[in-house]
Amino acid sequence: MTKVMIRIHNAETNKIIDREMTADELAQWELDKAQETQRQAEAEAKATKKAALLNRLGITEDEAKLLLA
Amino acid sequence: MAKQIFSTGQVLTAAQMTSLQQTAMLGGAANAKTASYVLVAADAGDAITMSSASATTITVNTGLFAAGDIVTIINLGVGVSTITAGTATVSTSGSLALAQNQGGVLRFTSASAAIFFQFTAGGGGMTLLNSGGTSLSGSATTVSFTSTGYVNLQIQVLGVKTAADANGYTVRINGDTAANYSTMRSNIYDTGPTFDPNNSIGATSISIRSPLGTSSDYYKLGQMVMDIYSPNDSSQHFFNWSCVGSNTTLTNPWYMFNALGIYDASAAISSLTFTTVSSTFTAGTVYVYGVK
Repeated sequence: MTKVMIRIHNAETNKIIDREMTADELAQWELDKAQETQRQAEAEAKATKKAALLNRLGITEDEAKLLLA
Repeated sequence: MAKQIFSTGQVLTAAQMTSLQQTAMLGGAANAKTASYVLVAADAGDAITMSSASATTITVNTGLFAAGDIVTIINLGVGVSTITAGTATVSTSGSLALAQNQGGVLRFTSASAAIFFQFTAGGGGMTLLNSGGTSLSGSATTVSFTSTGYVNLQIQVLGVKTAADANGYTVRINGDTAANYSTMRSNIYDTGPTFDPNNSIGATSISIRSPLGTSSDYYKLGQMVMDIYSPNDSSQHFFNWSCVGSNTTLTNPWYMFNALGIYDASAAISSLTFTTVSSTFTAGTVYVYGVK
């Protein structure tokens, strides 16, 4: 399994540490990843619905914009 | 030359007179230090220079100085040097944390209290808090700093690339993963262009949605600037940011974002974490500036 790395730069001491994420950091990262995947799926579903609706109406996206302008 | 106690009939040498004159003009030789230091009585009238790559402290204790004594302090090193109240009281309207090439005068108002008058470059000056910048690496990069004494922070993120296509990255303040971030974002993208405003109330991070990836085009366009206001205010922190990116060519499709937001927490801002959840950073540098 690929290690998930994090860099910590303490600007006050100018020390840089590269290390694996802790269990807590990894759990948060996985949560963020799941939320991003969900957001992308929702955006794609919305785009699909939009295309289907335009198709049913028989108009293009530009024509739809004209209607809403 | 440190403060002298003269006696009746003492004859001053020319060298002593020259040195005293230099000191009176806030010049003269400095007492050089390379590690944390506790001021002593003999430092009255002297200049202390600190040269260290690591963070250091200069501690001020009571009972050593008289009202009217001054000590000049200059940080020559990369490590931040912080004037620290030991048993004495130290106040300032500037910053007690001195970045490289910053300094000031510590003037005692009594044996137990001093005021630090910081030398400044004038209002509006920007100081790079993370010397040389912080290279983005791994799936997340945290840069920590002290924002004490600054009215604003400006964060510049330049040349970001990721190992695979990614829908931007997130920023968290002080490592806070709570639902404390609210933003209003205006996006325009593609040749249309399409206007795509977006509100996010109570999010767990700030979403910087500049598309990123591996090509040179990303490198040219993967950049962002963010201003965070009143980083030491004991209430909410207001911020805004702008960024630009492209996921194929320089012209199509392209994205431009302008956004503002509120971080709903009262702690002083001392770190920022940049995270990409769908890839890893392969390039990019974060610069954190403190604005006076």
